[in-house]
Amino acid sequence: MSLQEICQWINDTGPATALRESELAFPIVESIHVLAIALMAGTVSIVDLRLLGIVLKKEPVSQVADQVLPLTWAGFALMTISGVMLSAAEAAKLYTNPVYRIKLVLLVLAGLNPLIFHSTIYKSVSAWGEWPRPPARARLAAICSLTLWSAIIVAGRAIAYYH
Amino acid sequence: MKLKIAAIALFVAGLGVYPLSAHHSFAAEFDGTKAVRLVGKLTKVDWSNPHSYFYIDVQDDKGQVANWGCEGAGPGALSRRGLKKGDLKIGDTLVVDGYRAKDGSHLIDARRVTLPDGRNIYGGTPGDGGPGDNGPQQ
Repeated sequence: MSLQEICQWINDTGPATALRESELAFPIVESIHVLAIALMAGTVSIVDLRLLGIVLKKEPVSQVADQVLPLTWAGFALMTISGVMLSAAEAAKLYTNPVYRIKLVLLVLAGLNPLIFHSTIYKSVSAWGEWPRPPARARLAAICSLTLWSAIIVAGRAIAYYH
Repeated sequence: MKLKIAAIALFVAGLGVYPLSAHHSFAAEFDGTKAVRLVGKLTKVDWSNPHSYFYIDVQDDKGQVANWGCEGAGPGALSRRGLKKGDLKIGDTLVVDGYRAKDGSHLIDARRVTLPDGRNIYGGTPGDGGPGDNGPQQ
């Protein structure tokens, strides 16, 4: 079974078809997706801006992260669930959409970024967490995060303009 | 400091591009100066979000038949205008007034669809800024 056939199969399942052909459910899930992105990207930006030494400079990085990141995870979960639902509803069409592919690659990169960050420079956060301007490695991770999530939002919006 | 400004600028630019409008606009895909009327037999219906599509076989002056795609509003907007999924039957002859895609393909934005019983429905996506958008629905 090719990837295209898998996408077509997902597209034709009962729940995906019901969502695609719905009058209200689809726009509701779309709205939830946008709100979840706002929660996720908004809260992760607070941590990124702290890492860049732009906001909350007097608060230790770990305290900002501990308070804010649970909300980021909540947004991420909601965003993923709603995103999978919307993707399933349009799976056959999305298979050929170049921007959707770019978005998936960007999502993988945006996922790798915190994995690398938490397994490297963040391990020594007790040493630099109170610096107003954290070390370059931490700032780089923050810039990658802000750039990737911005690009993902732009790509998500651009999907509608390509077939 | 330069890094900070660059990071903020990049972030703001990223968010700024994200429009608050509904789905894609008329002008993104269709040419408002290329009006066309298609008459043909319905071959397929995609009753789907965020846009519906239906396909008709259209015969040109030389007798060649081509299958044209017609894009319309989603199920919610169409059903509020009185067009239900079952109203479009495969094999029906439809008259579709719309505008051609900018890329010249066999795709039109269906602004008005006339069914075999003479009933006609505005097919445009609400708020897309295309011809007849929010206009009178005669």
